[in-house]
Amino acid sequence: MEKSDIRKAYEQYWLENGKQPVSVYAFCQPLNITEADFYERYSSFDALENDIWLGIFQESLAKLQPDETYQQYDAQEKLLAFYFMWVQDLKAHRSYILLQKSRFVVPGSELRQLETFRHAFYEYASDVIKEGYLHQQIKERKYVSDQYVHGFWLQALFVLRYWVKDTSERFEMTDAAIEKAVNLSFQLIRSNTLDSLIDFGKFMLTRK
Amino acid sequence: MLSMDKGMLPKAYTEKFTMSQYSAPPLSGPLVVNTFVKTLGKTPAQLYDAFDMKASNAASIGQVHKASKDGKQLAVKIQYPGVANSVKSDLRIVKPFAVRIVGMNEVDMDKYFEEIETKLLEETDYKLELRRSVELSELCAHIPNLVFPRYYANMSSDRIITMDWLQGKHLKEFLETNPTQDVRNRIGQALWDFYQFQMHKLRKVHADPHPGNFLLREDGTVGIFDFGCVKEIPEDFYVNYFLLTNQEVLKDEQRRREIYTNLEMIHPSDSEKEIEFFSGLFQKMISLLTLPFTVDRFDFGDEAYFTEIYAYMDYLYNLKEVRDSKVARGSRHSLYVNRTYFGLYSILSDLKADIKTGW
Repeated sequence: MEKSDIRKAYEQYWLENGKQPVSVYAFCQPLNITEADFYERYSSFDALENDIWLGIFQESLAKLQPDETYQQYDAQEKLLAFYFMWVQDLKAHRSYILLQKSRFVVPGSELRQLETFRHAFYEYASDVIKEGYLHQQIKERKYVSDQYVHGFWLQALFVLRYWVKDTSERFEMTDAAIEKAVNLSFQLIRSNTLDSLIDFGKFMLTRK
Repeated sequence: MLSMDKGMLPKAYTEKFTMSQYSAPPLSGPLVVNTFVKTLGKTPAQLYDAFDMKASNAASIGQVHKASKDGKQLAVKIQYPGVANSVKSDLRIVKPFAVRIVGMNEVDMDKYFEEIETKLLEETDYKLELRRSVELSELCAHIPNLVFPRYYANMSSDRIITMDWLQGKHLKEFLETNPTQDVRNRIGQALWDFYQFQMHKLRKVHADPHPGNFLLREDGTVGIFDFGCVKEIPEDFYVNYFLLTNQEVLKDEQRRREIYTNLEMIHPSDSEKEIEFFSGLFQKMISLLTLPFTVDRFDFGDEAYFTEIYAYMDYLYNLKEVRDSKVARGSRHSLYVNRTYFGLYSILSDLKADIKTGW
């Protein structure tokens, strides 16, 4: 059994039962695989849940990367295209995701499931940022630049949460939210008034 | 407030509303692609031979892109996502302003708001717009000097409309080319006939005579599109409304009051003094505004005529009795019908068109 089949079966189990299987053994039984088979691929349900999120992310990227239009996009458009594709792909998992959301009482603890996805996203985002430096869409700033990826991660979480709550037709409001959020973020990290202000301040302080 | 003045209300109101949309930056390329994929299942590159990612101009709730397919130039209108959703909440924000501008009590205003809300919601429904565009363009195709684009249903969805790209200039730029009187007359005539035909024969009218919706051409023809705002005119409103253009009827005091009452311009709750007062104002206003209808030929280039109208409206606006009256005067249907004529008059006046107005 492929890893993707196991992921699918696990989501299926959630959809039908609304909770985690009581044990790996119980989960494997109807699938006709042994516990050993399972553990060969995943060390725990936790790892499996993480892989579901990572899987969706990779699926979106795999669709975007070979696309010629995508390759011609600048950094900002790439990120936009990614979010649009991502929320599109999330749709197929919406019921599962809604169930996961209700599972965690403490807000924020669901982030545990997103760990491996987060690492992959950081990698992707830093590539986008590098491209932004090259085309002067993003300004490199001392100390602050390193935080850009974190910023984009928070943005991705914002998009996810917005989409989870979105009840509009075709999740149109999420599209609008993505557009506006990305516009704003790129305006902030572009060379802007703040840079000139700091530059001016430095000049006034150091000139003798 | 007077009913004839109401033509101003939707204008002030929709301008306020569209302003909030105008301030939105143009849609990003990925969002345009996303809208295509979501509503048509294909990317623009798959759908057209060429598609310009940069919008060529902004529509009130979307933007227009140029495209081509099979050697045909196309105009593709794309709606901003979320607009349909935010119409209601946006209206709620604007409402208090509108109430203050017009100075009417809120309950009375509600019938107008309802009318505006339905119209705005309809404008966000591109499927409906496509249907109406096709229908009305076909019905009006026989009118001389009008040009309608062809619409492509297979490349349209409820967020996208694809139509032929029309050549021509917007009113302002067109006038800068100093068109001859003959050309201006022909265009003016075509527009007049277009509205008269819709009003009297179809009882359904393109209610957005905004200069941006017409493309004027040197050969005396005019391209018409954007049937997003169409007012359907109920029979009894129609009958009463156009009785006002009948000089004979207006001479009969009794009949006149009856019509005013039917059009909700005076109310059973009005005192005799109020009826007297408002009827007087209405009569003067109506005889002014319906003048083109009562003659065979009318020169809209006659500046004295428009000066007189504006002066009278100014006078009404500053009249204490009118300002203090919080009662709404005029049926909800008059809102968009008046606005349509206001728009038409103002275009004809800019064109200085001398046209045959007898019907």
